Amino acid sequence: MTTPEGIPHLTEAERQGAADGTLASARRRAVDAHLSACDACDADVARLRGVIARARASEPPPAPLDALWPDIRARIERQKVVPLVPAVTPNGVGRSRVARVVRIGAGLVAAGLVAALGMSVVARREGRVVVSPAPVAAAPGAGDARLASNPADSSRLYEQEVQTLLDELRLRRALLRPDVAARMDHDVRVIDAAIAELQDALREDPNNPALRQLLAASYRQKRDLLRRVDDAS
Amino acid sequence: MTAGTAGAAAPGASDVVRRAQQGDVQAFESLYRAHGPAVYALARRMLGDDGEARDAMQDVFVRAWERLASFRGDSALATWLHRLGVNVILERLRTAQRDDRRFTDDDADDTPAPRAVADAIDARLDLDAALARLSPGARTVFVLHDLEGYSHAEIAQMTGIAAGTARAQLWRARRHLMRHLDP
Repeated sequence: MTTPEGIPHLTEAERQGAADGTLASARRRAVDAHLSACDACDADVARLRGVIARARASEPPPAPLDALWPDIRARIERQKVVPLVPAVTPNGVGRSRVARVVRIGAGLVAAGLVAALGMSVVARREGRVVVSPAPVAAAPGAGDARLASNPADSSRLYEQEVQTLLDELRLRRALLRPDVAARMDHDVRVIDAAIAELQDALREDPNNPALRQLLAASYRQKRDLLRRVDDAS
Repeated sequence: MTAGTAGAAAPGASDVVRRAQQGDVQAFESLYRAHGPAVYALARRMLGDDGEARDAMQDVFVRAWERLASFRGDSALATWLHRLGVNVILERLRTAQRDDRRFTDDDADDTPAPRAVADAIDARLDLDAALARLSPGARTVFVLHDLEGYSHAEIAQMTGIAAGTARAQLWRARRHLMRHLDP
């Protein structure tokens, strides 16, 4: 295509380049000269520039932040693996702080563990499911060998195992005496509350090895409690 | 490139980032609220569909949570998130169009995406509606080049198409938008 004067119109590449300013300088001078003499090409380039400018100036669509966050958070929580194996603490570093945290954490967990272990042995006697007293757990300490973490420990693995046990117990709940079921529910709630408090504490101090040990211990206690009830039922 | 729609880090953002990296979900939510609008705008325009954009937004921030520990602060978090968002969105497009070949076909036209066709759109379209009627390939190149500031070479690298193809897609997209926005 040519102008009325017989000069070829700009190519598509030249028009687009003129519109977004990406032409090389030598070529740009020739294109600018053509545009000043050719109304058709000039108008076309102006329209292209207008589209680009309008697109860049347009307001972005509003983001549904509140609507999306609960699902995002739920996915994060499902996938979250809390590494329960603490990093090695250098000797003497932060020892007093660890001890303080352990005392706090032990206090948080002790109530849950004591209550849970109070009914933790379930046995069949004379064809009935009964609860017998169990030894009361000592408050865990930093050096407590029982709290040594298994390298495979993770909150997700415990939660998966606990959920499996809860699902099984749901099916067998009819076999439990109502007071036993109620006691189990209560003790699970107590342990869950301790776990939640430890998780909160870990959010504030995520690298604290003592809190991680206590959390691991709480998970294990919950799992063991459910296992014993499951076995007995 | 310039992360065109990404916001600057707020004062004290580094502390929030550090807390989020340590597993603090509340800190991560703060980052989500600060940077979510830019990520959503990117997704909405590249995907041309609100539902798809919402899904992509979730994927971006879940991926960000998973990978936040690898963020070293060499670039602004906004830039890091923006690039992560582009990658996640491109993955979604590739998955959705694996057999479509729009990204690799030089002759790809601006046939409207099926979902966009189903939309009843007025003759006078706003930008987002007009973008939604572009083919995914043309829309992607237009958004990345004209709105987000990526070069053709960067777009070619990210999408796996030739730079010449990206250029042709861009020109086609502009012509399409010109017809609908400036008839």
